[in-house]
Amino acid sequence: MPRIREHPILDFKWSERKKIKFTFDSEEIIGYDGDTIASALYASGKRVIRRSFKYHRPRGLFCGIGQCSSCLVKVNGIPNQKACVTPIEEGMVVESQGSIPSAERDLLSLLDALELKHGIQYEKFLGPKFLRPLYFKLFNFVLGSGNVKEEVPKVKFSEGYYPEKEVDVLVIGGGPAGICAAKASAECGARTLLVEERDRIGGELLKQTHKFFGSRRYYSGMRGFRIADVLSKELEKSGAEVMVNTLAIGYLDGKIGVCRDEREFSLVKPKCIVVSTGATERTLMFENNDLPGVMGAGGVQTLMHLYGVKPGEEALIVGSGNVGLILAYQLLQAGVEVKAVIEILPKIGGYFVHAAKIRRMGVEILTSHTIKRAVGRKEVEGAEIVKVDENLREIEGSERFIECDLICLAVGMSPNIEILRQMGCEVVYIPELGGFVAKHDENMETSRAGVFVAGDSSGIEEATTAMIEGEIAGISAALKSGKGRKEHEERREKLKMLLEEMRDNPFGERVVIGKKKMWGA
Amino acid sequence: MEREANVLIIGGGVSGTGLAYNLAKLGVEGIVLLERNYLGSGASGRCGGGARQQWTTEENVKFMKKSIEILERLPQELKFNILFRQSGYLFLARDEEQLNLLKENVRLHRKLGVETRFLDAEEAREIVPVLNTEGILGATYNPKDGVLFPFALVWGYAKAAKRLGAKIYLHTEARGFKIENGRIKSVFTDKGEIKVKEWVVNAAGAYSKELARKAGVELPNKPYRHEIMVTEPLKLFIKPMVVDLSNGLYMTQTSRGEVIGGIGDPEEESSYNLESGHKFLYLFSRAAIRVIPILKEIRLMRQWAGLYDTTPDKNPILGPVDEVENFLQINGYSGHGLMMAPYATQLLAELIAYGKPSESIERFSIRRFREGEIKAEKAVIG
Ligand SMILES: Cc1cc2nc3c(=O)[nH]c(=O)nc-3n(C[C@H](O)[C@H](O)[C@H](O)COP(=O)(O)OP(=O)(O)OC[C@H]3O[C@@H](n4cnc5c(N)ncnc54)[C@H](O)[C@@H]3O)c2cc1C
Ligand code: FES
Repeated sequence: MPRIREHPILDFKWSERKKIKFTFDSEEIIGYDGDTIASALYASGKRVIRRSFKYHRPRGLFCGIGQCSSCLVKVNGIPNQKACVTPIEEGMVVESQGSIPSAERDLLSLLDALELKHGIQYEKFLGPKFLRPLYFKLFNFVLGSGNVKEEVPKVKFSEGYYPEKEVDVLVIGGGPAGICAAKASAECGARTLLVEERDRIGGELLKQTHKFFGSRRYYSGMRGFRIADVLSKELEKSGAEVMVNTLAIGYLDGKIGVCRDEREFSLVKPKCIVVSTGATERTLMFENNDLPGVMGAGGVQTLMHLYGVKPGEEALIVGSGNVGLILAYQLLQAGVEVKAVIEILPKIGGYFVHAAKIRRMGVEILTSHTIKRAVGRKEVEGAEIVKVDENLREIEGSERFIECDLICLAVGMSPNIEILRQMGCEVVYIPELGGFVAKHDENMETSRAGVFVAGDSSGIEEATTAMIEGEIAGISAALKSGKGRKEHEERREKLKMLLEEMRDNPFGERVVIGKKKMWGA
Repeated sequence: MEREANVLIIGGGVSGTGLAYNLAKLGVEGIVLLERNYLGSGASGRCGGGARQQWTTEENVKFMKKSIEILERLPQELKFNILFRQSGYLFLARDEEQLNLLKENVRLHRKLGVETRFLDAEEAREIVPVLNTEGILGATYNPKDGVLFPFALVWGYAKAAKRLGAKIYLHTEARGFKIENGRIKSVFTDKGEIKVKEWVVNAAGAYSKELARKAGVELPNKPYRHEIMVTEPLKLFIKPMVVDLSNGLYMTQTSRGEVIGGIGDPEEESSYNLESGHKFLYLFSRAAIRVIPILKEIRLMRQWAGLYDTTPDKNPILGPVDEVENFLQINGYSGHGLMMAPYATQLLAELIAYGKPSESIERFSIRRFREGEIKAEKAVIG
């Protein structure tokens, strides 16, 4: 699959970039400086990078940002590395795992053809006793993802206990909400630390090339990735400390364990916490939904806009919310033909302007349609779509085949609330907010005092409101930790009013209803 | 829901489900089991899955020999695979005292027909090629020991019990007892009252103490948090359960390939706390990497905690109590109930069905804590 060479907004400066060579299953692959293993593989036409754990079905990229583990490979002998977030290095040895001989041609995929029943391991292989060791050999042959080197390396332990850092406010997740929270908190005079799992802050904004709507104060008219730049600079000025490549692994006896570069583990003891961990893209239930070439919309955007990879030649988009509509436009800009945008509901979900724009460019939007199956042996070769009736039931006989090599799922997101749940915050199910959310008040405080939420992790919305929520949460956290003054309190009240204004439109209504429901729950 | 039971079992862990199955197998009718959460939600679903014959007292070695024999035939008997992989337990000694304990064990085990072998460090490495032999003075290995999937054992027991007529109610909590003339007449649950004709069995794991108290019975058990973790799944490279006697570390791999293991913290105080802690991470990762250094490259995926239901002599409590005539105990396993339950539940079922078990369980009677000398089990791990 070629690189994106011409793009109306982005310039990847290929000629200036260093080429880097590495191997994948012994085959030489050439990527560019800045590539991850996954982006380089994808650009070289390698879509199958892994086999599934049990049935050895082909797997490729899905989320592109390290959230779904669909892309695990062995790197320089270390198993289970996420190809989509591991930068390439000269001479790197990358191998697929658990397949014989390679991910591309895995003999064990026969297991998939057998259509074994779920839970078969409990019903079969019962006896006789003398055969059991053999069964376990068989399990081991099929299961297990990757293996370790049979070595006894020398290790030296660092002295003493884990290092510990005390802060007023810890912000987990550096998307628009987290950046604004950290900035606002630091501006209140609170000692603030922001941890971000990826190698840079910006979150969702990084892959957005379109101009934002909304409020001037919140960068309307500016493109997403530029906003990320501006925010990063503002954050730097605010005095908040930022740790990238740092994963908050959990709430452990009153402290947050964080791990930098997968090596250095330390503890953070915050007075208050803001959780702005964003959301995870949803998938849909249909046959072959795991086939390489079926990808989350965000994964597709990441491939295109961060790594300059053309994700396919012909695409089908499932879901006509703003994400789906904008993606269609972005695919066209990257030179990908968009076969159709399909939508299960009888009307388009996103803004009229976005829909009109892609229609003008010749993209068909099919409402009351859904996807029935992805077609293809090892990667997507097409999709079968079908009409649905007013009860969203498939209408038999209305199936239609669409030839494509990319299926983009833009079917919504679910808030990332694991760490909130682990901290014991009360969690409620609110469909309008995207699923399970931690109950929170207008100051963004959860049921656990001192723990705040902001952005998509508090309910799926969009970047501008995420930024405002972030500021509210940041100020609230700082105040609670004993920092900040009257003026900050006043500012917070203004922000709450602004948030209300921003939601005062047909699209904000859903969130307003959702938040009301949440308060009532 | 049934409003009447002959035998009412409280607790849906390995004890409760195992007992329900064994009773049903002996033809006992009117068995009702209550579980306030889901099956295996207590220690049973949180444990390491290890089962071994390598113990330090004659009684326990014999007991576990029986239990392992049962585990070996359970898959066919229950028609459910408990994934019992017999690839041994490897005990490691790092000082003279531990070494002597192991040597004594080998002598005892051989006498009782258990094939435990004494190994030097290099021989231990043949069993686990990634083992760091530095500082290891000796080891013992018994190939019959092994690991199983704890949930599968609980599910298998429950399914078979139901097939034989036992009733199992999930998300149903026993909240109190109606006691008349020293007998439990009925049990109050959050879904109503259940009359009891014969026995009530306290199989509530670490919560047994609280439950017993509601019947006016004081158990000496204390709950202790024990933490445990699994890594990402990998091809098998640690076949046996490896135990480091110097710190109570234990670890092996599941049949899916995750390295699973835990370690005890001697400073942990008794509580019902089930939260995860950083101290465990520290203790475990250091101890585990010292034994198998290549683990430094592996990611920990999940960490959780369960409760050890610990008695003063680290042996379980089995059988009746003095205060209430029809109230049986099966608890207090002190961290090794998964492996003991197969035989313990069989014996208790025999007591209920025949009035007398095929082997005396007198030594597990709660009375031992009031009378004379108690002999503590030393091979308690974690
Ligand atoms: C980390 C850890 C590792 C371990 N490793 C091993 C090992 O490797 N090998 C081994 O043999 N053992 C091990 N153990 C010990 C073993 O798990 C326990 O001894 C065993 O599971 C006890 O089973 P049980 O059925 O008696 O109790 P549990 O499994 O705790 O079951 C009790 C059940 O009772 C229910 N309950 C409680 N109160 C009520 C009520 N009022 N009404 C209704 N239901 C109620 C609970 O919800 C629970 O499900 C380990 C334990 C832990 C915590
Ligand atoms: S984790 Fe790499 S694609 Fe999702």
